[in-house]
Amino acid sequence: MNPASYACGSPAHAVSRRAFLGSALGAAGVLGAGGFASAAANARLAGAGKRVLVVFLHGGASQLETWDPKPGTDTGGPFRAIPTSVPGTYVGELLPETAKRMHRLALVRGVNTADDDHARGATIMLTGRRPEAGIEYPHLGAVAARLLGSESAELPGHIAIHAGGSGFGKQDAAFLGPRYGSVALGNGKPPPELLRPAGLTEDADRRREDLRKKLNARFARSRRTAATEAYAESYDQAERVFRRAGVFDVGQEGPKAAERYGRHDFGRHLLLARRLLEAGVTYVKVSHTNYDTHHENFDFHIEQLGEFDRPFAALLDDLADRGMLESTLVVVMSEFGRTPRINHLYGRDHWSKAWSVALGGCGIAPGAVVGKTNATGTGVTDREVNAGHLFHTYLRAVGLNPKKNFYPNDRPVAVADPAADAIGEILV
Amino acid sequence: MPLPLPAVTAWVLCIGFPAPPGPPLHTEIDRLIAAGYPGYDRKAAPIAADDEFLRRVSLDLAGTVPTAAEARAFIADRDPAKRERLIDRLLAGYGYGRRMADHFDVVFMERRPDAKVPRAAWEAYLRESFAGNKSYAVLAREILGADGVDPGARARAKFFLDRKLEPGTVVKDISRVFLGRNIQCAQCHDHPNVEAFKQSEYYGLLAFLNRTFLFPSAEAAGAVIAEKADGEVTFVSVFDPAKKQKGTPPRVRGLDPVADPPAVKGKEYKVAPGPNVRPVPAYSRRARLAEAVTSPKNPAFARTAANRLWALMTGRGLVHPLDMDHPDNPPSHPELLALLADRFAAANYNVKWLLREIALSKTYQRSSEGPADAPEDRYLAAAVKPLSPEQFAYAMLQATGFADAERRALGAAASDAALAAKLAPHVGPFRARFGSRGGEPEDGFTATLDQTLFVKHGGAVRGLCTPRPGNTADRVAKLTDPAAAADELFLSVLTRYPTAGERADVAEFLKASGPPPAAAAEAVWALVAAAEFRFNH
Repeated sequence: MNPASYACGSPAHAVSRRAFLGSALGAAGVLGAGGFASAAANARLAGAGKRVLVVFLHGGASQLETWDPKPGTDTGGPFRAIPTSVPGTYVGELLPETAKRMHRLALVRGVNTADDDHARGATIMLTGRRPEAGIEYPHLGAVAARLLGSESAELPGHIAIHAGGSGFGKQDAAFLGPRYGSVALGNGKPPPELLRPAGLTEDADRRREDLRKKLNARFARSRRTAATEAYAESYDQAERVFRRAGVFDVGQEGPKAAERYGRHDFGRHLLLARRLLEAGVTYVKVSHTNYDTHHENFDFHIEQLGEFDRPFAALLDDLADRGMLESTLVVVMSEFGRTPRINHLYGRDHWSKAWSVALGGCGIAPGAVVGKTNATGTGVTDREVNAGHLFHTYLRAVGLNPKKNFYPNDRPVAVADPAADAIGEILV
Repeated sequence: MPLPLPAVTAWVLCIGFPAPPGPPLHTEIDRLIAAGYPGYDRKAAPIAADDEFLRRVSLDLAGTVPTAAEARAFIADRDPAKRERLIDRLLAGYGYGRRMADHFDVVFMERRPDAKVPRAAWEAYLRESFAGNKSYAVLAREILGADGVDPGARARAKFFLDRKLEPGTVVKDISRVFLGRNIQCAQCHDHPNVEAFKQSEYYGLLAFLNRTFLFPSAEAAGAVIAEKADGEVTFVSVFDPAKKQKGTPPRVRGLDPVADPPAVKGKEYKVAPGPNVRPVPAYSRRARLAEAVTSPKNPAFARTAANRLWALMTGRGLVHPLDMDHPDNPPSHPELLALLADRFAAANYNVKWLLREIALSKTYQRSSEGPADAPEDRYLAAAVKPLSPEQFAYAMLQATGFADAERRALGAAASDAALAAKLAPHVGPFRARFGSRGGEPEDGFTATLDQTLFVKHGGAVRGLCTPRPGNTADRVAKLTDPAAAADELFLSVLTRYPTAGERADVAEFLKASGPPPAAAAEAVWALVAAAEFRFNH
């Protein structure tokens, strides 16, 4: 077993250096207001060592086949509800392994996000806000990387693992600045251009780096600024990530782990996520696709949840066994749920009015269930919440104050939607 | 080499504008900068050496670094007027139009993805405008008066069309870009922190455009701007408990409102609205916008333009940030900004003239090796400015000798435009990595992991460093004398001769690094990856 390294470096160090650089640079107005640097510093101290994992079920997983089953009703579909490790809480029978770990999770069953568009739904869930003209909000990953991440961390703080291509998503950091944008590991491969190009030997690389550093040292003698320092430092940072390239290699986990997580893309991606969290990455989002089941909803859910259930349970076990669950917030979300009404193609369509989100780990009351839908799942009858409430909850769970402000261009912008509040019932 | 004309004649030929009377602006700049700091003359950095000046002004006015041959020639030139000659040569060169197009593209469009106007046409429009030294007021009037209807002049409508004529964005950006005032917060109420930014100012600007819409639809790729004959602007402050509704005619702050002429019943339209018809009103509010913004009675226009051009050269606005010009954020040198604005307006907004005067000033020509604790806004030393993504790309293409090799490959057909066409496709990857997020102003500096890996391991930069006939690695590899190799390397990449220590370092590096071509390529990489190359200093 790998020795788990949970240290994110000394928080005190985290505060000093980059806070200085940030305010000296005024980069894109991220740290415009003088007061912000210290507020962010406080937030970092509070959240030191906390991590977030989001499993995003792309396309919109059905709440009725997962967290809020309605067996034996017009809308319930063919599957049974099964008991879980939490007495009185039932989930769909396609989640047998997850059901056994229900005492590690909490359910929010009264989610109404009021938008049935894939792209907007995803933005709403990941930013905790409805889209507005004139401003884009940072994704949860950027906020987490910004407020929880240690500045001395060797690895990027915001990583997305999905089936598509690799790249760097600066957009999703919005006004927080590109430093907090996502590093996308397409198909679980390492970040683009991380590895040495063919033809450049270790020796040659070291020699040219030595020459570069000599030049930098000379230049810094008379023309040192925060920006030139940041530039020179970025090469050291890249070197540190490069030296830890093995973190991105799930092959190092061995066949036993591979078997437990399942020999398919999602299993490998979730295992990679665990490696990254262990290695000190603040936020990892793993996408699992193919939940947009406008036809054959039930067959697709057998397949997709069949892939999801075992690795997700293995991940919860691993986090718990390693003592990481109490410092790692785990969230399972989609862009929306699916219609209670079953269409003529045995499909379910987009449904944002009454669906569920599961979460657990850091700061979350184990086994809690909040919110209710009616007998056929067509509406929320108790404790309706939206993505803003959830966003507040995630931040509170990891010890952050969602009511603080960022100050892009000296203008206060609340970290989470000021019209919403955390869901206190599921917080410890 | 340009003909040895007397400087003044050369200047008139180059810019097409006789120097205005009174003391030259560049000496006035130096006088007012010196007056802004006690003991300035004693504490300010000395004038930069020739190599430092050559690199700086080439990057600022041509957007790239000079060739090794140009560097050798300039350093060896004994003519006392050589800096002035260089400035004039750069202002007349192809690189100037491209550099200004790249810079003002970001000022005007802020790296928005193309929506309705393709980037090539827009770049050509900007390049030709600046190369031909179009008055900045004319340029602003063309952009703010464009409707996108004439296919030959559609590019200039990009400012409106690619913002989809979204009123909040358009009004915010007209005010920021042309008036130096970020009044976005005044959309919903008077600005909470900036007393001078009033809600009425925002809506006064909006009233020029409130009748304007995209025809046939906002979604259509070929949409053009159309206008109705009626519609008023009203607004309520979200802070006002009484929710009192106010109205405003079109108005630029400080100017008289632009009243509508009395409407004649039945004659409101030149082309009446109808199904699939683009209406044309008898009286256009939008048509008044460009003249109001650029009116001589509106000092904010010349002041903002002068401040932006000053910042382009010195790395910092006299009003800083550039779009926060209000009484609580006064200019660092108020008298200087007023003078620049007045003279710029009196010179009919002659951009080349203003840039030339700034470049001629001692303030601009100071070394960037200044006193360690010098306050940035006192100009005791030249600023160390990060290269823009485009400057970084073009400097990389020149420093690695990619441009030399392409010039050589083109042979007799090597015109500026032909070479530019070979270089331009290589700029995209730099823009993608180093450019700001679309729709955000590009200021500050960040060095992110992807940017650094792009330089460190990326195929694009590695490909540029690799030896090919006529490029830098090739030339360096062919020099058997290690000192000559080091000279060629440093002049090509860093526009200076190496120090004795650096010569020794390079000699040792080349000796230890195997076959000369591969060793030279890695040496080129070490220099382009150095901080000295990433900044204009």
